[in-house]
Amino acid sequence: MDVIYNVMQGFGVALQPINILYCFIGVFIGTLVGVLPGIGPISAMSLLLPITLSGTPESGIIMMAGIYYGSMYGGSTTSILVNIPGEAASVVTCIDGHQMAKQGRAGPALGISALGSFIAGTFSLVALMLVAPKLASVAIAFGPAEYASLMVLGLVVLTFLTQGSMAKALLMACIGIVLGLIGLDGITAQPRLTFGRIELIDGIGLVPVVMGLFGLAEVLLNTEQVIKRDIINAKITQLLPNKEDWKASAGPITRGTLLGFFLGILPGGGAVVASFASYALEKRLSKTPERFGRGAIEGVAGPEAANNAAAGGAFIPLMTLGIPPNVVMALLLGAFVIHGLQPGPLLITQNPGLFWGIVASMYIGNVMLLVLNLPLIGMWVQLLKLPYNVLFPLIILFTIIGVYCSSNNVFDVYVMVGFGVIGYFMRKFGYEPAPLVLAFVLGPLLENNLRKSLILSQGDLMTFVERPISAACLALALLLLVGPLLPAFRKKRELVALDEGA
Amino acid sequence: MTTPARPTFRFNNSELWGGVLGLALGIFVIRAGLHLKLGSINDPGSGYVLFYTGILMCLFAASIIVAAVTEGGPTFASRWDGARWTKPVVIIAALMVYSVALDQLGFLVSTIPLMLLLLRAIDPVRWTLAVPLAVLAPLGVWWVLKRGLLIQLPSGMFEIG
Repeated sequence: MDVIYNVMQGFGVALQPINILYCFIGVFIGTLVGVLPGIGPISAMSLLLPITLSGTPESGIIMMAGIYYGSMYGGSTTSILVNIPGEAASVVTCIDGHQMAKQGRAGPALGISALGSFIAGTFSLVALMLVAPKLASVAIAFGPAEYASLMVLGLVVLTFLTQGSMAKALLMACIGIVLGLIGLDGITAQPRLTFGRIELIDGIGLVPVVMGLFGLAEVLLNTEQVIKRDIINAKITQLLPNKEDWKASAGPITRGTLLGFFLGILPGGGAVVASFASYALEKRLSKTPERFGRGAIEGVAGPEAANNAAAGGAFIPLMTLGIPPNVVMALLLGAFVIHGLQPGPLLITQNPGLFWGIVASMYIGNVMLLVLNLPLIGMWVQLLKLPYNVLFPLIILFTIIGVYCSSNNVFDVYVMVGFGVIGYFMRKFGYEPAPLVLAFVLGPLLENNLRKSLILSQGDLMTFVERPISAACLALALLLLVGPLLPAFRKKRELVALDEGA
Repeated sequence: MTTPARPTFRFNNSELWGGVLGLALGIFVIRAGLHLKLGSINDPGSGYVLFYTGILMCLFAASIIVAAVTEGGPTFASRWDGARWTKPVVIIAALMVYSVALDQLGFLVSTIPLMLLLLRAIDPVRWTLAVPLAVLAPLGVWWVLKRGLLIQLPSGMFEIG
């Protein structure tokens, strides 16, 4: 009964006209950035982070969340029609989705993608409602040692899943921690690595770092090559999948939803991992795996359900533990902090309207997305024809504006340009920016909890091993660090390693 | 069984220099940590985490260097094979000049030329579209921010905007 009462309370918040408007803006922008290759939810969310300041916390966070799960819907449209992933979680949808489109079945591919996303999104919300309060009540017992170990695990999982050399990913995570520690020490108030610049006393802002590494660097990389688009020009008809399509997709959607949700909860995991894992699972389970890559609807239904379920699951660690499991959630944490809120075990009890309002808004957002992505699909197809030589300068303009507005300080524009250049060279040399950004956000929290746990235990390092949750997290982190030294384990890692930042 | 041929050592191995840069950064962070004081294990100081993070950076960088030496790696030039490298160079240079000009000249005076340059430099947009877009986009953004959101963008020495 409590859950029903809480959900009703949540709808009371989410159905306020201003929140409906923010929710619509969020899912609309989410679909837009999902459709447009070269700009993803991370860039869009960091661009709009300053705008959340103007409204209530509920409105701002509802909009930011909408961008994230909205981009999961939009990304599939580009994958199916153009064979370019609109965002990283839709990479696998290209494989079978575009083949279906080439065979004249773009409609069912888009339809099953949107409907599968809707089913998975709705399931993940129900699960979020049921799991989050329970986990929050357990998380109250977490001490600094558990938090420190959980953050270490999150960073190690992300570096493990990052494409390419693990040493490079770990180096990036360390650099992220160092960048996060710039500014005044939270305990001793001593300035660190500020080089006498007053602008650095408060540390480097998250917005310029993310906009530089993901927004500007992405544009710089894209301008290097002539982007060819193989757009399906045939008129898209019959969006609703037929009976056989549903029969083939029911299993993949169910499995993708469950798998995606659990992978979404894991620190370091997320929508990208979930979609790849779902595709691999469906191919393995299929009686006719040779159809995969040639237009199998299961190859669209499973991953699309998985990435949407993961997007919902990813809210659990943030809302209950206050730990962002991926870069997108790190930005959402930024939005909470901007409003003076600290997500964690006490959020649900202290701010029930906010928590349940966000959850309820996601139901509304999912219905909006279904409308935006099925009857209005033609609008997004037109958008795909927007030339890149016009789009890229506009993205650069918006990154500059977004960064300046976040602090009203030109120094942040320098920082953004600097990180844009660094991000470009990082990508060229095979260093992924995702571990750096997650570590940048987690670094100060990790340091704080590590120092607190050492002070509380009077310097006894056994405190990390004697507490079961902390010990389990560290053991898993160690396994993932040492594992790649074994050839068989390394091969498995290469199979699941992903380009998180794309 | 034949042993695989060991790759020849090359100084333009980009992996090697990436590792060396990481190592230099790690040493810098260790020094910064020491300078800030480590404290003790039961009362860690401001430099404690920095110092140990620096050590980890050196270890990871060293492993990148070892891999580069033993396994080889792509040269700097090969990283840009087939890429139109002049495009990002022009954009980076334009943005650096812009960053400096933004505060001095103001948003409108510096952004309109930047937009025009970007529209013509990436994949040239025809002048009849580039000029109106370069003028109207910054002007529109400026108007929305100033009138709608009450955000003041830099007006520079000419106080335009």
